[in-house]
Amino acid sequence: MKLPGWTGEPLVHFLLGGALLFAFFAWRGEPVDPASRTIELTRADQARLALNFERVMQRPPTDAELDAVIDQYLREEVLYREALRLGLDQNDIVVRRRLTQKMDELAAAQAETAAPTREELQAWLKAHPERFVTEARYSLEQRWYPDRDTAKAALARLHGGAAPAGEAIDLPPRVEAMERVRLVETFGSTFVEEVDRIKPGSGWHGPVASGFGFHLVRLGKRELGAVPPLATIRDQVEDDWRLSTMRERKQEAYRLLRQAYRIKVDK
Amino acid sequence: MKMVARGLAALALVWTLGGCEMAGDASPEAKGDGTGTVELAEFPERPLWGDTHLHTDNSIDAFGFGTRLGPEEALRFASGEEVTATTGMKAKLARPLDFLVIADHSDALGATKRLYEAPRLMIRDKTLLRWYDMMHEGPQQSQKAIAELITAAANGNLPEALRDQSNAEKNTREIWQTHLDTLDRFNRPGKFTALAGFEYTLMPDGNNLHRVVMFRDGSDRTKQVLPYPGIESTAAGLWDYMDAYEQKTGGKVLAIPHNSNVSNGLMFELTMPGGGAMTADYARRRAKHEPVVEVTQIKGDSEAHKYLSPNDEFSSFGVEGWELGNLPLTHRSTPDMFAGNYIREALKRGLTIEQKIGVNPYAFGLVGSTDSHTSLATGDENNFFGKHTGVEPRPGRVMEPQNLGTDAGRFGWHYLAGGYAAVWARANTRAEIFDAFMRREVYATTGPRMVLRLFGGFDFSNNDWGSDWVRNGYKRGVPMGGQLADKGKAPTFLISALKDPDGANLDRVQVVKGWVDASGKSQEKVYDVVWSDMAKRKPVGGKVPAVGDTVNRMAATYTNSIGAAELRTAWTDPDYVKGQRAFYYVRVLEIPTPRWVLFDMVRFKLKLPKDVIEKGVAQERAYSSPIWLNPAKPAGGA
Repeated sequence: MKLPGWTGEPLVHFLLGGALLFAFFAWRGEPVDPASRTIELTRADQARLALNFERVMQRPPTDAELDAVIDQYLREEVLYREALRLGLDQNDIVVRRRLTQKMDELAAAQAETAAPTREELQAWLKAHPERFVTEARYSLEQRWYPDRDTAKAALARLHGGAAPAGEAIDLPPRVEAMERVRLVETFGSTFVEEVDRIKPGSGWHGPVASGFGFHLVRLGKRELGAVPPLATIRDQVEDDWRLSTMRERKQEAYRLLRQAYRIKVDK
Repeated sequence: MKMVARGLAALALVWTLGGCEMAGDASPEAKGDGTGTVELAEFPERPLWGDTHLHTDNSIDAFGFGTRLGPEEALRFASGEEVTATTGMKAKLARPLDFLVIADHSDALGATKRLYEAPRLMIRDKTLLRWYDMMHEGPQQSQKAIAELITAAANGNLPEALRDQSNAEKNTREIWQTHLDTLDRFNRPGKFTALAGFEYTLMPDGNNLHRVVMFRDGSDRTKQVLPYPGIESTAAGLWDYMDAYEQKTGGKVLAIPHNSNVSNGLMFELTMPGGGAMTADYARRRAKHEPVVEVTQIKGDSEAHKYLSPNDEFSSFGVEGWELGNLPLTHRSTPDMFAGNYIREALKRGLTIEQKIGVNPYAFGLVGSTDSHTSLATGDENNFFGKHTGVEPRPGRVMEPQNLGTDAGRFGWHYLAGGYAAVWARANTRAEIFDAFMRREVYATTGPRMVLRLFGGFDFSNNDWGSDWVRNGYKRGVPMGGQLADKGKAPTFLISALKDPDGANLDRVQVVKGWVDASGKSQEKVYDVVWSDMAKRKPVGGKVPAVGDTVNRMAATYTNSIGAAELRTAWTDPDYVKGQRAFYYVRVLEIPTPRWVLFDMVRFKLKLPKDVIEKGVAQERAYSSPIWLNPAKPAGGA
């Protein structure tokens, strides 16, 4: 169906809306609450509008511009109130989402701007060390063999801890304090899992399987990851504290509100 | 309609002011290009793995297709954290990436997000209103709306409100600046690099001429510009923009063309765009701004096509479906277009053009990436989150048509799981990664993390495989991406390919050579140079027999009982002719493994047609950037 052009005009919508409003109240026969028909714009409100303008334009408004902003605000306020009277906020997905978002923000607002104390952050760090712990580091030697039997034979040939030869492959024969993530990248996850079962300083072990084949491994050191002192990672801890606390508070606020509801979901 | 856009603009502004700004600011080290923050190695020691082509909810189509994850989730995921995908599944990479380029479409950046969130009453354009309603109706209608939008963009009839740059500028500026701050917050020199970029979506008549634009710099410089829009522009316009950025800020920027496979012959033309002999100036500008091409990604692989390379039994990898036509399938492809679609042919065209005009416009290196529109940068077959949110893991996605709403012929199983970019850089920083791209010391994989080294020189031999061979490679030759000047003798290449330690064994290493013959015509040849079980697998009729196949189709498993952990050789060109212009790049093939299609079949207990199951097996691969052999007297060029 193609409607005539004038049906798209906002003025027409406006008049139509007014007529509906008139009809509605004529039918209901109730006077409108006079208090809700008063708009008061305090000096503080005006200052806020001026500040908004300044934020966008990077300069304060002139008198004429401020007047225009105030007019715009009044227009919005009148239409906004009338829209509420007409129930235009009902069943509007945008309004609905915006309001839920505001509830979430309300719940999280305090956490968003709060400046946690050093003690609070210290406690946070202590409660969640796994989020800040540095990678474990490995120092080891390895030799590679294409199959298990060759690796076994090489291990058997070992006398007094002399390093076995290994076969040629483009893998580092020795790594020093390599981070776990790098070790996994270089040798693969199965290798690292097996290395984790070796006691450091206990000589040559093997065959250790990897995606490449089989290795003899001498683990020199395995330095477990440590939690750095708060002073060196304060920003990171604060970020984490803030995000987690905001998330928790939103969830907690929802939980409390939800308790007051009886919910039935048809199966 | 301008009022609509202004209305949307005002609305977005109000909401941004009202929305929650993230607390915290990035450190000075994280904000810059990383120079001086990390100790540099003597030479690149390990490849850095990354994705240069990821879309988030700021991309007009990604949001419309349904993703609700933004840049922050994208960065968390890429650096190894677990996130929740839009459709609710937990998503995590088995191994983190080293770097990420978020490349949201510059055109109408954030527009669908704004359209979606705008009050319905404010939208007066009939098409926009219809898309708005479709987007709100549900995921499937939303995807249809975006398919229509892409087609409209391809046909050049987007609603004016989406095209009007002056009105969109304010929104773009806000999204861009917020985005750059987010990148700085996640950029950790030495650990994880977040590079700034965007996708330039040039698409005349639906023919894909897209580029990812990638910056070297931190937000102090990138904030001085806005992403350059693609619609209604030309590539030369993009290069002007890039020049202007470098002049204005003292920074650096490059562009990476992609999906030449759906360009209907326009990506790598022999002529100027629109016809006429290519000028040296055009060739020089192209080579300078576009040192690297993305050869493989979710929407297919662009290395080589059987029509152009009939003697290469491993060509036409990942071309099925994509070879049918341009991006939105509004125009079918004909074989005469293929030469401009595939990179091997483009590298050959580069040589012939250089022979004629003295400059090679197509002297580029190669990377892979995902082009994922889910905010999830994963190219792993067993962790495939789909091209967009509509095809995140669910039973229907393998067999459903994926025709972008206009024509038939492309199905879910035609998607590849996407690739990665491997970068030989001396440290994990913005500057070092960018500089490696500029010198083309990068390579592509279709997902597996194989370690591939390549050096070209004139005095290498198999005696060079000592513990110091890499240092010697740099000292006595050039690495991948480099250029050799003819010395009157055949070049030798040191090639070393190490399998992905958590992946499949290697089948073979090949050298692809392209050259210009005496008559001025370009030629190509693929050499098997080293392969697994060489004693048993003797070449028959010049070809190494197939490696075998251990894939259990029904279980989506394979075993490493065939193939090799490592393949390396010093290979000398047996067909060298003095004075000939040539390039050499390496292709590494894995043994056959299951594709994402078979993993889906097992996970969702699907009944799939026989041919789809058979095509659920592939030999994943790596492509090195080429090394060029130029006539002794350098003839200019990149």
